[in-house]
Amino acid sequence: MIPARPSPNWPLWIGVVGFLAAMTVWSAYGIGFSASELACNIAGGTRLLEESWPPDFGFLPRLAGPMMETVYIAIIGTVVGGILAIPVAVLAARNLTPNRPTWFVDRNFMNILRTLPDLFWAMLFATAVGFGPVAGALALTVFTVAVISKLYSESLESIDMGLPEAIRAAGGNWLQMIQFGALPQAMQQYVSYALYAFELNIRASVVLGLVGAGGIGMILETQRANFEYERVTMIILAVLVAVLIIEEISESIRKRLT
Amino acid sequence: MSERPMTSRSGAIRFHDAGIVYPNGVVGMKDLDLEIQPGEFVVIVGSSGAGKSTLLRAINGLNTLTSGRVEINGEALNTGSTRQLRRVRKNIGMIFQDFRLVKRLSVMSNVLIGRLAHVPAWRSMLGLWPREDREIAADALKRVGITDKAWVKASQLSGGQQQRVGIARALAQQPAIILADEPVASLDPVTTHQIMRDLVRINRELGITTLVNLHFLDLAREYGDRIIGLRFGELVYDGSARTVTDEDFRDIYGRDLTADDVVEDEAVEGGEGGGE
Amino acid sequence: MTAPKPPVSIDPLKRPGPPIGFGTMVTFVIGVLFFGSLAAIGFTPDRLIEVPAGVARVLSFFWPADMAYGWDRVLPAIVESIQIAWIGTIIAAILSLPLALIGSRVLFPRLARGVKLISATARAFPEILLAIYFVPIVGLGAFAGALAIGISSVGMLTKLGAEVVDSLDFGTVEAVEAAGGSRLLALRWAVLPAVLPEIVAHWLFRFELNIRASAVLGVVGAGGVGGVLLNTLRYRHFDKAAAVLILTILVVLLIDMLSGEIRRRIIRS
Ligand SMILES: Nc1ncnc2c1ncn2[C@@H]1O[C@H](COP(=O)(O)OP(=O)(O)OP(=O)(O)O)[C@@H](O)[C@H]1O
Ligand SMILES: [Mg+2]
Repeated sequence: MIPARPSPNWPLWIGVVGFLAAMTVWSAYGIGFSASELACNIAGGTRLLEESWPPDFGFLPRLAGPMMETVYIAIIGTVVGGILAIPVAVLAARNLTPNRPTWFVDRNFMNILRTLPDLFWAMLFATAVGFGPVAGALALTVFTVAVISKLYSESLESIDMGLPEAIRAAGGNWLQMIQFGALPQAMQQYVSYALYAFELNIRASVVLGLVGAGGIGMILETQRANFEYERVTMIILAVLVAVLIIEEISESIRKRLT
Repeated sequence: MSERPMTSRSGAIRFHDAGIVYPNGVVGMKDLDLEIQPGEFVVIVGSSGAGKSTLLRAINGLNTLTSGRVEINGEALNTGSTRQLRRVRKNIGMIFQDFRLVKRLSVMSNVLIGRLAHVPAWRSMLGLWPREDREIAADALKRVGITDKAWVKASQLSGGQQQRVGIARALAQQPAIILADEPVASLDPVTTHQIMRDLVRINRELGITTLVNLHFLDLAREYGDRIIGLRFGELVYDGSARTVTDEDFRDIYGRDLTADDVVEDEAVEGGEGGGE
Repeated sequence: MTAPKPPVSIDPLKRPGPPIGFGTMVTFVIGVLFFGSLAAIGFTPDRLIEVPAGVARVLSFFWPADMAYGWDRVLPAIVESIQIAWIGTIIAAILSLPLALIGSRVLFPRLARGVKLISATARAFPEILLAIYFVPIVGLGAFAGALAIGISSVGMLTKLGAEVVDSLDFGTVEAVEAAGGSRLLALRWAVLPAVLPEIVAHWLFRFELNIRASAVLGVVGAGGVGGVLLNTLRYRHFDKAAAVLILTILVVLLIDMLSGEIRRRIIRS
């Protein structure tokens, strides 16, 4: 005799499975997903791949300048954004914020910043201050604040409050409590988040140029518009190598820290 | 109670000159010659690190011998052959100290894991267990008395109940041999006796050869038919549980016995209660 | 007669150690890189002074937002972004699940190395670069975007999934194998039930990220709301751009909230 199995929660199951299926069908229809089209276009795809191979190595020297510009943008964005992220994170940490209204405003500010992707900021700043790397640096600054402040405020919320409270008890003011009691405790996490943001920024600054915000993305956009796919491949290869190198460096720094 | 045979074959085990040296040079088993008859209930004792687990795990090929051989029903075990290994393991149930249940699955599914080797892979992959196998699993649950928990998640059971599921999983294999590696080490004294009684009863009713590693001497004496003592990987005692003396235990352990070696306080004079 | 001198004089106000500390050095290096970068891209103080005015000017044009345009044109584009993210995430989930399982270093030491290579490569490509390739292959539009998102998500989902698997206690795997089950069956019955909730939570998290990513793919013609924003800004229809921003922020926040709540429930179960 097999013991009777209690019947599962059918309405819930049907609801969940139905929702997933409906969402998928609706989305597939909406974006024009079609396997047959994919199959037909594979032919065109192979032609494209042939066109984009071999990469145009002669183009490499012309990439050096824009590539460096990409790195500059990422450095500026990480440094400025990293510094600005500290007050944003402190005010958004429940245990450190001076009062609830400040916390509420700052927290929502942080969430709204996080909502928009890097390219959105790039488009905005390119419109505001003109096309070029300055717009890219500004965009990445905002993006970095968004990335670091969220992570860092979570780290700050989990610090040991003994030291900050001791400083407060010894007559220190709020700023001293933060500076000497709270920030040092989460220093290591902060550095690691900053490195992470730098990696993201390198990737992001690669594409900022697509909307005219400087860096290697600008050449990428021109070559793409001219269907110079051998050059596009070259650029993408260069980008990949750069990204991997930067990641390797930041990984080794991170290892040394811990 | 529907009586179905829970075992088909008899389970004889034989070690010839068997030895295990771990890659780090530790000798886990040394020159072991041992014969276990079908249907025996054997308790293996020895201090921590004596090689009890090593011995059990050599029988189902979780450990590989580095010298000599082990035969199950006359067939030499070759851990190099995955197919033979699986065929042999199908016949050998194992019970673990830490239960090793899949916490997020129901009790029934955990017991059905014991049927994996008996069911075509595509069916078990899809969870389409044949009716007969589900009945065998239900029967195994009944034998350990937790039929009512069949559809409860394993994570919601007490330790004793979890170990019963572990036993049921082994039973569901309809094994010829059951290996229990310190099955009661993480249980309280009352549950410990219940589980030991379950194991003995199953051994009697079904004639499954049963090997149990135990830490506690009073348990070994109370439930074992035959006691095997190990020390530094060597067989140092092999005899009946009825005639084993404290002196023998002292030799096996290489030291005087303490309250930590028993479950019940009375067993050793001046003891302060059951340790783990 | 001289008093015996202490062998080393210790000034309690001075910290022992090298004259220039590690921290000072790092600060110095970062400072040099930073100011060098500023100079290199021509970010001079007078440019900096322009910035607030420029941003304020643009923002002033943003008001009032053209919400009529928002409902007519922006909302459908946002919906398309969501659809792109959804299909992309589904593609990535389907591809990454088996990869994550065999990417376990403990269970499959050899295979795992290959899987790691695949996932590292996939992660190195920002989705927009993939989209640049997919647009000419499958044609302008959302389908290309979904493929790009899907492929680029595979890397991260595989890596996170394999980490979840490797954080397991493998006792249950041994239990399945001791019962005569194969490694594959152990994956199905011991590993999958244990890791699935966490892996699904990662899928949802990636869906949230993919919504943001799909919102910019329009820049290279791969559908979604990014193209709309680019056009409104390009032609200086700032009131329309404002509608894009407002709606995007609202929708993304809403989806984050829902998905975050579902993730918490899945993990708790
Ligand atoms: N995988 C392994 N690699 C190396 N050495 C091991 C391994 N497993 C066990 N050993 C060593 O082999 C010896 C016997 O171990 P075994 O686990 O069989 O002892 P045990 O009698 O079961 O001990 P306990 O009562 O603590 O479970 C010990 O010295 C142990 O350190
Ligand atoms: Mg052991």
